[in-house]
Amino acid sequence: MPIIAISANHFELGGQIARQVAEALGYRFLGRELVEEVAREHSLAAAELRRTLEEPPNLFNRRSRRRLLVHLQAACLERLQEDGAVCYGLGAHLYLTGISHALLVRILAEKPDPQEPARQRWAQEFFQKDENDPSLYDMVLSLASIEPKQAVEIICETAGYRKFQPMTYSRKCLQDRLLECRVHQRLMDQFPDVRVQASDGTVVVQLRGLKLDQRKKQRTVRDIARQVPGVEYVEVHVVRSFFDKAGG
Amino acid sequence: MSEAVEVLLLDDEPIVGRRLKPALAKLGCQVEVYEDPKEAMQRLQEKQFHIVVTDIRMEDIDGMQVLEFVRQRWPETKVIMITGYAMMDLAREAMDKGAFDFIAKPFKPDDLRRVIVMAARHLGFEIDYQPAGDDGA
Repeated sequence: MPIIAISANHFELGGQIARQVAEALGYRFLGRELVEEVAREHSLAAAELRRTLEEPPNLFNRRSRRRLLVHLQAACLERLQEDGAVCYGLGAHLYLTGISHALLVRILAEKPDPQEPARQRWAQEFFQKDENDPSLYDMVLSLASIEPKQAVEIICETAGYRKFQPMTYSRKCLQDRLLECRVHQRLMDQFPDVRVQASDGTVVVQLRGLKLDQRKKQRTVRDIARQVPGVEYVEVHVVRSFFDKAGG
Repeated sequence: MSEAVEVLLLDDEPIVGRRLKPALAKLGCQVEVYEDPKEAMQRLQEKQFHIVVTDIRMEDIDGMQVLEFVRQRWPETKVIMITGYAMMDLAREAMDKGAFDFIAKPFKPDDLRRVIVMAARHLGFEIDYQPAGDDGA
């Protein structure tokens, strides 16, 4: 059974379709309820987590909200390791690209939410992706031409296609994505600009720093990352920071 | 169908067959290994295997052609694709064409054993299987 990630330019309408798809297919529904769970799990303010999902960040809260988003992303990916789920309202369509058993769907309502431009900025700020880009999705459904009920039917039918079924490779990709997120979670307080890539237990971490403290940083990152279950090998690349370059 | 699960393994890298044949034999599978896709296709023309494991990127004939041929000639046969060039589009194409599973290289022999066991069980075989730690292939 695939994972279905739905995005919409009308939050309520998209949510109704997503829930109906989950119900029709007998899949789990993963939505904004996850916010409360993540808040409890990490002792965070649920209201701030909700705002993180709803508002584009500004200069002052960008880092803190990015951290919150990583917690949400990790929780979502953790729950998606089990097939047969419909995901809505968590931005999952932006971080499930490349997973072959993730069916990514965009719903276009005739009248978008007034908050839609802010939503576009949110996706751009956090994921550097244009939510209006159709190439991001497997399917774009316009409610100007079809009824929501038909949209549900089309999504359900497409979910049955063989090409969207999970396989060893796609499950492994999803596990790698979760591992990246978990390592990121552990490192982000100390190294906010860290980038993590994982493949089959091997983790490559990239961060900015001065040449002077490169070895120390590499050691620290390695020690932290190795504590994450599933990590077998850690490679750390310290990219020279602006100040280091300016200094020669 | 005979008692043993019959597997045809096709990969133009000899090391793959050398590593995987004993790994599958441990499951009680009878394995025929081919490095030349043409020879493998000739064999597949004449004999039905329960499971075919094929690399995708090979000279002359690629794994997708093998998949299509097997699906047409022996629809019951389970085809498992293995590749060092795994990409989402390729994976989806393989599944769409009827592959049973798609595995990215490098993988551990136990990863393939697990998939072989699943495929064999789909075909009605009962195989005792205990996952074992092993080195990458």
